[in-house]
Amino acid sequence: MTISRKCVPFTPFDRELSKSTIAIVTAGGVHLKDQEPFNIADELGDLGFREIPPDVDSSQLMVTHHHYDHTDADQDINVVFPIDALRDLQNEGVIGGIARKHIGYMGYTMQLKAMYEGTAREIANEIDKGSRADAVVLTGG
Amino acid sequence: MKGIPTVLITVSPEVSAQMRPPRALYPKGFKIGNSLGRPGMRGLQKQVLRDALDLFTQNTRPGETVTLEYPDYGEQYEPPRVRKL
Repeated sequence: MTISRKCVPFTPFDRELSKSTIAIVTAGGVHLKDQEPFNIADELGDLGFREIPPDVDSSQLMVTHHHYDHTDADQDINVVFPIDALRDLQNEGVIGGIARKHIGYMGYTMQLKAMYEGTAREIANEIDKGSRADAVVLTGG
Repeated sequence: MKGIPTVLITVSPEVSAQMRPPRALYPKGFKIGNSLGRPGMRGLQKQVLRDALDLFTQNTRPGETVTLEYPDYGEQYEPPRVRKL
């Protein structure tokens, strides 16, 4: 299905936030330290993405991305991937739950069509089928 | 196609607007790499996250970016501009 370049692909949210499960998808190049880093040597950009489990210890996350200054994220990953902040909101009853799957990818590419038609759809599919998320928070760097 | 509701937290509102995100929050003056605030500022990070999540239940206009101010962030930064051709 092709989406018009002028259309805003708006999906209504018809639930209560306090009963909803939330996933985080970040373009900030976040991944687990024991996952393969993004390939920053490829000038066209890395079209891959990494799955991040819901029970991840945030100290086990890192950033591989060479198109923004991630010094602050190196100290506290929550500045681009707010998993601990999301857990706090779950504990406070603001949201219902943390999704089973979260995604990090490197939001820099010279292969826009492949990112838009390939990677983005694969990520949406992972979230839709595998995460049980009711809604998604997107972050960049 | 069912679709999944999304909300974007952006620190480059002009740039991200080109992709017409359905819902977006710009924490005013936050620099690139600080989408949720600065390291260790969990209270601020939670507030920004909560404000973004609240856009799901507010009557926002699709494609519009909501700008909110967070004085606790401290020094403000100018966001990148889209170059006019």
